[in-house]
Amino acid sequence: MDPLLLGAIVAIVTILVLFSGVSVAIGLLIVSAGFLLVFDGARSLELMPELLFGKLDNFALLSIPMFIIMGASIASTRAGADLYEALERWLTRVPGGLVVSNLGACALFAAMSGSSPATCAAIGKMGIPEMRKRGYPDGVAAGSIAAGGTLGILIPPSVTMIVYGIATETSIGRLFLAGVIPGLLLVTLFMAWSLYSTWKSGEASRLGAGSYTWAERFEILPRVLPFLGIIIGVLYAMYGGIATPSETAAVGALLCLLIAMIIYKLWNPKDLWVVLRDSTKESVMILFIIAAAGVFSYMLSSLFITQSIAEWIGTLDVNRWVLMGVVNVFLLIAGFFLPPVAVILMAAPILLPIIDTAGFDPIWFAVVLTINMEIGLISPPVGLNLYVINGIAPDISLKTILTGSLPFVACMVLAIILLCLFPGLATWLPNVVMGVAL
Amino acid sequence: MAGHGSAVASHTGNNLFLRVVAALSTLAGWCSAGMIVSAVAITCQMIIVRFVLNGSTIWQTEAVIYLVIAATLVGLPYVQRLRGHVNVDLIPLALPPRPRFFMAILTSVLSISIVSIMLFYGYDYWHFAWDRGWRSDTVWGVRLWIPYLALPVGFGLLLLQLIADLVAVLTGIDKPFGLEDT
Amino acid sequence: GATELRLSHQWSSKDIRHQVAQIVADEVAAAGVDLEIKIFGSKSLFKPREQYKPLSRGQLDMTVLPLSYAGGQQPAYNLTLMPGLVKNHDHAARLSHSPFMEALEAKMAEDDVMVLVHGYLAGGFAGKDKCITKPEDVKGLQTRAAGKSFEQMLAGADASIASMASSEIYNAMQTGVLQAANTSSSSFVSYRIYEQVSCYTPAGDVALWFMYQPLLMNKRTFDGLSEAQQNALVAAAEKAEAFYMEEAKSQDAASAKVFRDAGVEIAEMSVEDFDAWRALAMETSYAKFVEEVADGQALLDLALAVE
Ligand code: NA
Ligand code: NA
Repeated sequence: MDPLLLGAIVAIVTILVLFSGVSVAIGLLIVSAGFLLVFDGARSLELMPELLFGKLDNFALLSIPMFIIMGASIASTRAGADLYEALERWLTRVPGGLVVSNLGACALFAAMSGSSPATCAAIGKMGIPEMRKRGYPDGVAAGSIAAGGTLGILIPPSVTMIVYGIATETSIGRLFLAGVIPGLLLVTLFMAWSLYSTWKSGEASRLGAGSYTWAERFEILPRVLPFLGIIIGVLYAMYGGIATPSETAAVGALLCLLIAMIIYKLWNPKDLWVVLRDSTKESVMILFIIAAAGVFSYMLSSLFITQSIAEWIGTLDVNRWVLMGVVNVFLLIAGFFLPPVAVILMAAPILLPIIDTAGFDPIWFAVVLTINMEIGLISPPVGLNLYVINGIAPDISLKTILTGSLPFVACMVLAIILLCLFPGLATWLPNVVMGVAL
Repeated sequence: MAGHGSAVASHTGNNLFLRVVAALSTLAGWCSAGMIVSAVAITCQMIIVRFVLNGSTIWQTEAVIYLVIAATLVGLPYVQRLRGHVNVDLIPLALPPRPRFFMAILTSVLSISIVSIMLFYGYDYWHFAWDRGWRSDTVWGVRLWIPYLALPVGFGLLLLQLIADLVAVLTGIDKPFGLEDT
Repeated sequence: GATELRLSHQWSSKDIRHQVAQIVADEVAAAGVDLEIKIFGSKSLFKPREQYKPLSRGQLDMTVLPLSYAGGQQPAYNLTLMPGLVKNHDHAARLSHSPFMEALEAKMAEDDVMVLVHGYLAGGFAGKDKCITKPEDVKGLQTRAAGKSFEQMLAGADASIASMASSEIYNAMQTGVLQAANTSSSSFVSYRIYEQVSCYTPAGDVALWFMYQPLLMNKRTFDGLSEAQQNALVAAAEKAEAFYMEEAKSQDAASAKVFRDAGVEIAEMSVEDFDAWRALAMETSYAKFVEEVADGQALLDLALAVE
């Protein structure tokens, strides 16, 4: 059979199986086994456990549970609330200051957590009730946190970037740096939109409420210091020649656990277990998808589908930006349904040759891809952040959360356009810190 | 709306089999978490040995890799029990209760089949490594059957939990896909 | 239709080892014996170290593989990456067709594996702040070595061993985690290590680091082919082996040129340096090998007997 036609059949079957309610990782294994059985013979099934084990046999994967523990341990304390309160006390004069401080807290928290749902939960627990109390509409309160939470995978550290780095063999240190400026750009766009919409609603004066004395403002600062300590410590370890990014993750995890225990008195074994349980759950889920996607990509390669698609794209005579547009639409649609890690691993072997032939920078592309994945996190039908918000504030309907986060989706699309116009937004920082190369 | 990792564990009712399997999966979850914590500790030790003491790090990288692999595989049944494996239930949501029930049976049987295949060949691979005395090609030279053991153990326990989930749906103790009727 | 064989390797299509595989595939196709070799390069099918097991079980037909990767399956293979065992490329060619290699091929046969194309590639050392030519030079340096035996020897020279993939050398050197590295000439170039080091010691008249990287085939699959197909494969392999040897020699000089052009100092290993390393290796890696492998001493003697 023609590999391209076969590829189309694989795509359709995969979609059907994944929508059937079976878990994503097991679904990928089912599809892989089915096609290997039919086209490569029964003996190829023997290889599956070996391929799965081999995919996990990679030191860089260690950083996934580590960065998840980092976020989870801090999220289990009052830390998120402190962060957000500090920002609020300092920004209270600004109309709509509360949304702005929540978004700022999301960005700061994102710099300590590798995952978006964790960021969303940590800031949302305190931020959403507070915003609603002060009279912000439910949609704005929920939407801003849902969107702000997605920064977790753009601002380093980021589990998504690690997976991309592994799949494409690009430097994880470089990828992390590439996310910094686009992350700040996004948070600025989010804030600008929030301020504008508050101002436009004409309720700016009422929402400005709450005033703090300078004493109160300075009093809260020491409580934010541990975080700055962690962020600086992790950055120093990573770029200062102490450890590789994967190793740094372990240092970060240990530091966060220690700070949670010492400063926030997270001594109770039961509370510690909750942190560990949640981290284990999320890590195992992601790592299983990574392993299963490894078997899936073996199947694609063994049936010569990957190679044929790459070849076919090479023969297409289209403008590279048209190609990039198509790739973006594809990623966006995939992101609607699948978790970021699954999209990256399934799409990387197909997309990379395209990116390569069309002459796009893989580091820059990682950022574009990540923002696409961020949109997926706050869009139906599978938007992990939407469920986190739904868990924190069960009385806000999913529809309200969704409409509330729509303007932020527009901000993300704008950010992608800006990145296409000015690729330097992503590539400048890694080049300055780590030198132009590779 | 589609499914996601809610913190609600699958129901066991008073069924002895379901409760035993749930207990086994929980135990596996503790082991998994323990291995992740050990990986953190070993990595930090490695950085200290190398950066502070300027010593050699021979075994740490490998030990950490195998711990994370084992944590993943052994953690599978526990995460299944917590319904933590992310899924997309667009088709079941669109179905009325009766077809949804059969859809749940179908996906369950498919999952059980593939995990059985992984268990069978995982055991086979483990046994091959044991039989041939394979070691890793490093100075540490770990006997590979030790890390490979995570394959049959992890998939074996996952198989049990999947069977338990199917039994729970068949006996009406749990709802298909954990979805409430609407 | 034609019989299809699958060949897997880890290198890019520009790499010498891909070219070796390509020559075999092209020659066999030209022979018109209904045999087609499909090459899966750049680790698109299996990870580098995951290739020997499926090859040995017949799930993969052919591979181009550094044989020491399978040292965990057959410890005797560790002799194919021993410091100072091979002196230069001509010596390597003599080793490839010696009783020593016959003994190794007997080990491969136990795993249902056979050699189609023999070949050795050389490598060198690179230092971030200084040149590495003799054992004293690595003392106290965080060093990445390619292969278990080299790790043992360098540890014997009081280097600190940091194990990592060759793809990580660049970043580790850049951030200062690593101060010295040892790998193949082609890896030094393809990972652009010349941007991070001040001194390079390439393989020259004498070289410490030689790695045996043959084109292997599953024996049962080979035996299952028709006589015409087998003959075509053997003839193609012969042609590829001649090319492999010539190219392997020119790689060392080419890598030195790339480093020199990048402004990196080029150091040379003297015969005295080589002997010092080899004496150290005798006490460390050779001794360890003999201790670990049952018939290790006999194999080592066979190798040392090759002039
Ligand atoms: Na982050
Ligand atoms: Na989505």
